[in-house]
Amino acid sequence: MASFFSNLFQWFASFFLSKTAEIAIVGLQASGKTSFVNVIGSGQVKRSFYPFDSSLQFQQWSEDVVPTVGFIFRKVRKGNVTLKIWDVAGQPKFRSMWERYCHGVDAIVFIIDSADPEKFNTARFELHQLLGQPALIGVPLLVLGNKNDLEGHVPVKDLIRDLQLDKISDRPVSCYSVCRPSRASLTMTLTLIFQCSMKSQHNLDIVLQWLAGRSH
Amino acid sequence: MSFAMAFSKKEDESGLSSYYNNKTTIIQEARVFNESPISPRKCRALLTRIVYLLYVGETFNTQEATTLFFGTTKLFQHKDSALRQAVYLAIKELATTAEDVIMVTSSIMKDMQPNSEVIYRPNSIRALCRIIDPSMAQGVERFFKAAIVDRNPSISSASLVSAYHLFPHAKDVVKRWVNEAQEAVNAKSAGYFGGQVSSGSSFFGGGSSQSAAQTVPSSSNITQYHALGLLYLIRQQDRMAVTKMIQQLGGGKSGSGTTLKNAMALCMLIRYAAKVMEEDPNVQRQMAELLEGWLRHKSDMVNFEAARVLCEMKNVTNAQLIKSIAVLQLFLSSPKPVLKFAATRTLASLALSHPTSVAVCNIDLETLITDSNRSVATYAITTLLKTGNEASVDRLIKQISGFMSEISDEFKVIIVDAIRSLCLKFPAKHASMLTFLSGVLRDEGGYDFKRAVVEAMFDMIKFIGECKEQALSHLCEFIEDCEFTKLSVRILHLLGIEGPKASHPAKYIRFIYNRVVLENAPVRAAAVSSLAKFGVNTVDPTLNKSIGVLLNRCLDDVDDEVRDRAAMYLKVFKKQALVEPYIKEDSVLSLAALEAKLVSYVKDPSASTQAFDVSTIPKISRAQAALESARPSTLDTIGVPAKAAAVAAPPPPSAAETQSAYAEQIAAVPAFASYGAVLNSSAKPAQLTESETEYQVTCVKHIFKEHVVFQFNVSNTLPDTVLEQVTMAMQTEDVGLTQDFVLPIPSLSAVSSPGIVYVSFTRDEPEDYAIGSFQCTLQFVSKELDPSTGEPEAEGYEDEYQIEEVELSAGGDYIIPSYAAFGAEWDRLKGAPSVTETFGLGSSVESLKAACESIIEVLNMEPLGGTEVPTSSSVHTLQLSGLVTGGGGKVLVRCRMTYSQGVGVTLELGVRAEKQDVCQLVVNAVGG
Repeated sequence: MASFFSNLFQWFASFFLSKTAEIAIVGLQASGKTSFVNVIGSGQVKRSFYPFDSSLQFQQWSEDVVPTVGFIFRKVRKGNVTLKIWDVAGQPKFRSMWERYCHGVDAIVFIIDSADPEKFNTARFELHQLLGQPALIGVPLLVLGNKNDLEGHVPVKDLIRDLQLDKISDRPVSCYSVCRPSRASLTMTLTLIFQCSMKSQHNLDIVLQWLAGRSH
Repeated sequence: MSFAMAFSKKEDESGLSSYYNNKTTIIQEARVFNESPISPRKCRALLTRIVYLLYVGETFNTQEATTLFFGTTKLFQHKDSALRQAVYLAIKELATTAEDVIMVTSSIMKDMQPNSEVIYRPNSIRALCRIIDPSMAQGVERFFKAAIVDRNPSISSASLVSAYHLFPHAKDVVKRWVNEAQEAVNAKSAGYFGGQVSSGSSFFGGGSSQSAAQTVPSSSNITQYHALGLLYLIRQQDRMAVTKMIQQLGGGKSGSGTTLKNAMALCMLIRYAAKVMEEDPNVQRQMAELLEGWLRHKSDMVNFEAARVLCEMKNVTNAQLIKSIAVLQLFLSSPKPVLKFAATRTLASLALSHPTSVAVCNIDLETLITDSNRSVATYAITTLLKTGNEASVDRLIKQISGFMSEISDEFKVIIVDAIRSLCLKFPAKHASMLTFLSGVLRDEGGYDFKRAVVEAMFDMIKFIGECKEQALSHLCEFIEDCEFTKLSVRILHLLGIEGPKASHPAKYIRFIYNRVVLENAPVRAAAVSSLAKFGVNTVDPTLNKSIGVLLNRCLDDVDDEVRDRAAMYLKVFKKQALVEPYIKEDSVLSLAALEAKLVSYVKDPSASTQAFDVSTIPKISRAQAALESARPSTLDTIGVPAKAAAVAAPPPPSAAETQSAYAEQIAAVPAFASYGAVLNSSAKPAQLTESETEYQVTCVKHIFKEHVVFQFNVSNTLPDTVLEQVTMAMQTEDVGLTQDFVLPIPSLSAVSSPGIVYVSFTRDEPEDYAIGSFQCTLQFVSKELDPSTGEPEAEGYEDEYQIEEVELSAGGDYIIPSYAAFGAEWDRLKGAPSVTETFGLGSSVESLKAACESIIEVLNMEPLGGTEVPTSSSVHTLQLSGLVTGGGGKVLVRCRMTYSQGVGVTLELGVRAEKQDVCQLVVNAVGG
């Protein structure tokens, strides 16, 4: 009974203490942005979104997410934090439009495929191009090296070096390595995210905490 | 800002609205899109204002539109239905000018998902087709196929309309949706559909009540209309499929079996039927039966559409019209103005071709003359003018005058044109009509209206002699205060021609000279020319003298053109010899021929050393020139807007125009580049084979300065053979021509026909006119086509084909018709080379008329002064004028003929030309 009341109290408290954070997720194409959003959002959103293939629409997650055209907006609630996520496409023709959606957000999340070092140069260029925009000075940056479950992925240290994150001085920067969520780990993810413990979901909850810390 | 949403009519009219709907303010206020949290109310209000501005014609430049567009995309974070609908409306409108609109593709497709039961699903579908990249159409195919057959009519309609718009960009993809579109046409009226979706959702109402809208089942079946449009778009290239579709959906003879419930869809179907009938007369009967069924449909719209199409049918008979006219007649007494208007308009155009059939409606039309809707009244009156009899004309004209000032210029033109044709129909009524025309000429009106009136008066002057002087004086009065330079110039020109013939020419002088004093330069110049014509044509010496005085005054004019004209005419007055060519000349150069010659002159670099020779251009009389210019004939101009002009076939190309077409063809062959300009080409191709043979050949002859080129147009009509190495063998006796070369056709199939074989000869003596006949044989290698592959077989056989002889003769090849004033020219050439010979034409020529016809045909010269038609059966003189190609100069022929029973026609041929051998050429042509 006591636990019931404490749950109820937490539920009410969430209304009064609720916070919102608006984040923009950018990165080169096929780095895993939409998958990432799907995973952190799957606690609330029942379906993943596959624009080009309706046959997949009832599945939770698929290896081949169809490339995003433009952007997708997603609203996710984690505990008492509401995340508003702008998931922006990474194909070259959309990169010039990243800035429009990073404008006024609480944090920028830059996702990079850590198993594909060949693209680091392009990624570094695009990232620094974006951060060079005067309107975005001071906006915190989170860099995620995705797909660390793959053979030959680059560790965080090297990632920081290759992307020259140490040179960024006008904003808080964090860099983590995350693994691709797989079908098997999905249910685990849901539980783990709330319990803030981690095993297979390296760092994902840390990421969420970090994001929540940017809320206001 | 927050109350901007509540635009009421009152605010709209006040100055406030101009402030709130100001582009700059709106772009500044677009900040609200980036605010956090978003206020749906504010944003919706702003979006409404953006869309409003775009609807009233305000334009945003690319940068402004892009900024606004990206602003609106931020609103995808808010779930408010009404806001989302407004966002989609704004996106649709901004999509045409903004950049990078593809940005919202994924976001829109999220809203389009079949299981997202949101009110704005149709909106998102409609927005998608505006922003999507055609290459992505394939990606949405499955989704569209499902949406087209959705139970919800607004989703189905939205996807059909979107498919319609996508079609031009992604034909192949959309074509595959034809089955779904067919299903949508046949769908039973969808009643209720689940969820929150409302049928009205595709039309943004602007109120937040939309989000809570209750389901209103649509009963309009508008989906059928949209689906039919898409089906036709997909099938329009295939006439058989369209015919089948019309029959299928038409539902049998009575039209009762149709699945189409939507009246607009039926109207569309009727229009498609009309198109099919026009293209394929074979189906006219069965289509007409369907149409007659629709005359009894319960919807007025369908009745009218069917009646109209039946009335506009090609070669429609009076019996076929009875039913549709009965329907239209019923509409005439309808209380609805739109029906009355539609019916009168259709009847007005039908009255042009079938006045007797329309006459049954006259009683109903009479009551409409006083209709408060002036457009209806105008059409009623014009119809009555066409169907009515002479007795009713006066009354109708009086009626029209009553409201002439109340109708727009377009309708005034319609009425004036109706009166114009009426003048010619009932010349006896010219007095009242002229009074009417002069009355409306004084009214206010634009150029088109005034021109219609002036042209109507011109026609009266031309065709009705009695009213000439009165009409002229009305026109004189008009130019006293005419703001249109073009009209003044035309009237002054007419005064110059008609004025001197009037009983008191002097009375016009004052009007004309007033123009010299008061008007702008072009009018002054026209007035000077007009004055000069009076001076030359008048018999009164005092008038002549006073015109001299007036012209002398014009020498001080500030404008060069006016002074030049005055000086020239004064000079001409002093030398009688100059009067004839400069003032009284009534022939003009054939403009098409002049253009062709000038083009070849400009293209030929060597020609620039000599001056351009105008004398080689054939002349035509003014009457012919008037025929050639495309001015619609008087009777065609009766008030049917647009349609009539489209129906009128273009006039057949004149001889001069075919000449220029040939010249272009020849210029494309490099082998003839050194030959110089074509002096003459045959006026029309000579048929060398029967029209139903397997190989058809026509011949065109081109005369150059030193060469003759025969152009054989060869057609192979056998679909399963191909002719290779097609050449022409030409044999002749010694005529002074040496064959240079033959340009064969390498391969000629039924598809590539006709091909052209050129045979070139050199004229041994370019001064001589080589005449003779050529035996022609078509030579080729014939190969069968393999029916399975369509490839010709390897082996063929050589074959020959005899065709008729080609003649190179005086008329047509060396002499071309040209207009001249015969009497004066004949006298001028008195001292020139001439030949006179007498022939008996023998008993084969049975009359003077036959003799005239054959002489004109042989010599190919212009008959002058109507002498081609003998007035007497025993004695006649035929006068002919022509131009010899290649600088041979003018040639005139006078044929005096007598006819007596038994002896036949005896002809005395008198030829005068600028060169002796030309005379001989003519005599040989007739004698040979």
